Amino acid sequence: MRYILISMLLLRALSAQEPVAPTSGEPVGEARGENAGDYNIVQSWELGYRYALVGGDAQKYESDVNFGNGLRLLSSFLTVNSRNGAGKWFDEIVLTTQGLGNDPYESAVLRIQKNRLYRYDMHWRENAYFDPGLATAEGLHLQNLTDRIQDHDLTLFPGRHIQFKAGFSANSEDGPALSTANLFEGELGDVFTLFSNVKRRYRTYRVGADFDFFGMRLSVLRRWEFFDDYTPYGAGPQTGLNPTDITTLGSFNRIEPLRGTFPGWLVNLAVERRRFMVNGRFSYAEGRGNFILDESAVGTGLAGTENRLVFAAGTGERPVGTGDLNVSYFPTGRITITNSFSASDSRVSGNNYYEELDLANLTSSLVNFQFLGMRLLTNSTDLHFHVSRNLDLFAGFRYADRQIRSIESTSPAGVPFSNTLYTQYDRVHAGVAGLNWRIIEPLRLHLSTEIGRNDNPFFPVSEKNYQALDGRLEFRRSSVTASAGYKEYYNNNPVALSSYNSHSRTYFANASWAARSWLALDGSYTRLHLDSAGGIAFFAAAPVSTLESGESIYISNIHAVNAGVRISAGKRADFYVGYALTRDTGDGRAGLEPTGTVNALLYNVQTYPLTYESPLARISVPISKKIRWNAGYQYYGYHEVFGLYSILQNYRAHTGYTSVLWTF
Amino acid sequence: MRKALLVLVWAAAALWAQEAQTVQSPPTPQTRVAGSGYVGSTTCKTCHPDIWLNFYKNPHYKSIASGKEPPERTGCEGCHGPGKEHVDAHGGKRTIPHAFSLMAPGEIVNDCLGCHARDLSKANIRRSVHTAADVVCTSCHSIHKAQAPRFLLARVQRELCYQCHATVRAEFEMPVKHRVNEGVMECTDCHNPHGTFASTWRTGSSGKMVDQTAGGEEPCLGCHEDKRGPFVYEHPAVRVDGCETCHAPHGSTNAKLLRRPVVYTLCLGCHNGAGTFGLTSSGVILQSPAHNLLQPRFQNCTLCHVRIHGSDADPTFLR
Repeated sequence: MRYILISMLLLRALSAQEPVAPTSGEPVGEARGENAGDYNIVQSWELGYRYALVGGDAQKYESDVNFGNGLRLLSSFLTVNSRNGAGKWFDEIVLTTQGLGNDPYESAVLRIQKNRLYRYDMHWRENAYFDPGLATAEGLHLQNLTDRIQDHDLTLFPGRHIQFKAGFSANSEDGPALSTANLFEGELGDVFTLFSNVKRRYRTYRVGADFDFFGMRLSVLRRWEFFDDYTPYGAGPQTGLNPTDITTLGSFNRIEPLRGTFPGWLVNLAVERRRFMVNGRFSYAEGRGNFILDESAVGTGLAGTENRLVFAAGTGERPVGTGDLNVSYFPTGRITITNSFSASDSRVSGNNYYEELDLANLTSSLVNFQFLGMRLLTNSTDLHFHVSRNLDLFAGFRYADRQIRSIESTSPAGVPFSNTLYTQYDRVHAGVAGLNWRIIEPLRLHLSTEIGRNDNPFFPVSEKNYQALDGRLEFRRSSVTASAGYKEYYNNNPVALSSYNSHSRTYFANASWAARSWLALDGSYTRLHLDSAGGIAFFAAAPVSTLESGESIYISNIHAVNAGVRISAGKRADFYVGYALTRDTGDGRAGLEPTGTVNALLYNVQTYPLTYESPLARISVPISKKIRWNAGYQYYGYHEVFGLYSILQNYRAHTGYTSVLWTF
Repeated sequence: MRKALLVLVWAAAALWAQEAQTVQSPPTPQTRVAGSGYVGSTTCKTCHPDIWLNFYKNPHYKSIASGKEPPERTGCEGCHGPGKEHVDAHGGKRTIPHAFSLMAPGEIVNDCLGCHARDLSKANIRRSVHTAADVVCTSCHSIHKAQAPRFLLARVQRELCYQCHATVRAEFEMPVKHRVNEGVMECTDCHNPHGTFASTWRTGSSGKMVDQTAGGEEPCLGCHEDKRGPFVYEHPAVRVDGCETCHAPHGSTNAKLLRRPVVYTLCLGCHNGAGTFGLTSSGVILQSPAHNLLQPRFQNCTLCHVRIHGSDADPTFLR
């Protein structure tokens, strides 16, 4: 029996999309694990070696995939359960881990609980983040960072009607990175590469309680968040991005320590009765960050020797308050009417004192103040009508009213602010409707649509006149599930120059078939089509820049395929073969225009065809009742047709792993 | 003083709970309750030993283990209703008062919310897109055949979501993506499948069940906290319409999940000076005439405007 159970565990692992799966199922009707006293223990540990052989652009591979060579605990799984629900110290421990030791994506999830006494949850993650920064800064914003995120939550259940909660979260970001700075004479200067060592920390502490009284639940949460950033920047002698100009950098140093807090409250009151449900929430958070920037740059500019110091100090503040009230009313068993009202207010204000000192020429001192206030009121009413066992209808109306206020002020030190306040409003009216129809027992149809109008969108790319359509046909039988659907979204935001419109259409079909106990197939095809067009204006042409305008078009035609086959060869082995493809065929053009013309600026960025594919194969072979040997291979192929700035980031990567799974 | 008080309250609560636990009688399966129609979980076990065998690992088992819950909130009958008729009829789905496979979606929601309604995470379940589409509790959770230990999910979370959201699966398989398929992220890091409160960062089409941070902000800022501020100078696009103005959150063929492959097309889409857009209702500010776009250095706006999400020192995000 244990043999079967181990097989099930492995089959589960083989079916996952990631190289190895950390979780396993709990089968019905099969006893699992070992009994130790009043506890049942199930555990599995998979130790393996992963390899990667990369050809082509290794940086792009690191950005997209990032698996490397080395030994690691690919996955582990442990559960300890009290068999009578009355363990002395705990009733349940669940631990799952993934990639510990060497993988770029590592995680551990732990839950320990004792019924009606306490529950502890931990979620720890580490992500090795690499980005070459080609698209944003021609490779000069490279980042090689490690992000760590951890959450710890303890809940105490001292009584039936009360819970206490306490939690702690910590995020950190560390690692080397590049940045850039434009120095000396503004746009006439040059861009230089800066080296930095990223050091960011965020910590949150929270305590709260839930109280049940008179059939209501009151939840209160108080939290304190602290953050700091001590990332320094520096650079040595450089000629700059444009080596033909006379601007050079001798040395550069910048420190800008930042510390701040984000304390907040969250209060929730919920009550549910036979005919209605009411839920109210209030949250308030007040962020505040204090900073100092000290920068020095020495070099050569148009005016000769440059020796510039910049000092800035100030505070940014953002109080955010939100309130929500949801009321659901059930006049009959068939009808649900829900009204939701929400109000939020966010006020971003900040000031700084900015002093720029050029040791050769002048001193400039400025006092700045900026304010951005947003007040948003929304209301939505939804009706859900259960017409019959086979048909549900729903419809709703949405309304949003937003006020945006802003002040941007800059004054020389000692001169009062001008403080001109700009205020504007926008209102959205939208309607939604749809149905769920069980046509015959295994066949369901879902249709929904939304139409909305915004009278004063804030940006040219914001939603103004938009409509969305979503349809999905679904077939479900015990061994077969299949669905197909269509989604369309259209937004038109017309003004004289801009006339922005975006149109996306998505088609998909997927199916899963457990053909035999030893054979399962699944596959999906998705086509994502996006075309958007908007007016842009810019300065170009030589020798003197002139204002140009034109239509910025972007066309994306993505075909995505995913397929997998699982085969279980009795007790001898399990196989999984899969394939994933993303292909953007663009607009079908054969080539780009020669660069250096205004027309090329518009034409050469309209489409970005590429192919990204990844076939894989895995095998799992039982060695003994408790041990299995696993191996897998996955190929990653990335191929751009044109490339950004004529740089092709193409790569081919052969990756694989071999591991031993010990289950006992 | 406040810290000491807090520790004291915690300690008292823990001791109180421990005390309650020690005097609690050993858990026994619920016995037959005469005249109520409830037969007790022991009776169910007689014909359903397969379900009973591992049920002690199920979070719902604590209702049996406690021995204190009323029959209508204990074990099998806590969800399925009194079993007398089912027993008397010697089985049959239709004799189970609450046989979930036969119930309408709305009835399933009502049953589960009988106990789970008051959780903050489920505050919006009645108005959620999932409920409207008849995607209800048993569509994702399996009480008896859970494949994922946490939350009794019927399958690994992302596979559950991909069943309906095939397009999202395609997005997560693109070269640039959040690491959901790699297992370091989950859909619920950003979305609440039980429904969410109204967004505070945008207007327009209905939200995609995007959850909020405890401070009522976009969930992106929960991990990308360096973009959160507060800054002296905020990029209004981030605050007013949210991160999706420039980024496709699931996956993209473009670096940094940008909506366009080249930065200047993204920036100039708004910064064209047209219409009544922007903070002063006179168009979002046009770039400087000194920016000759034919020069490569001006084609990468973020080469100089490095702090594009917000800056403390410079209103044009240069440092």
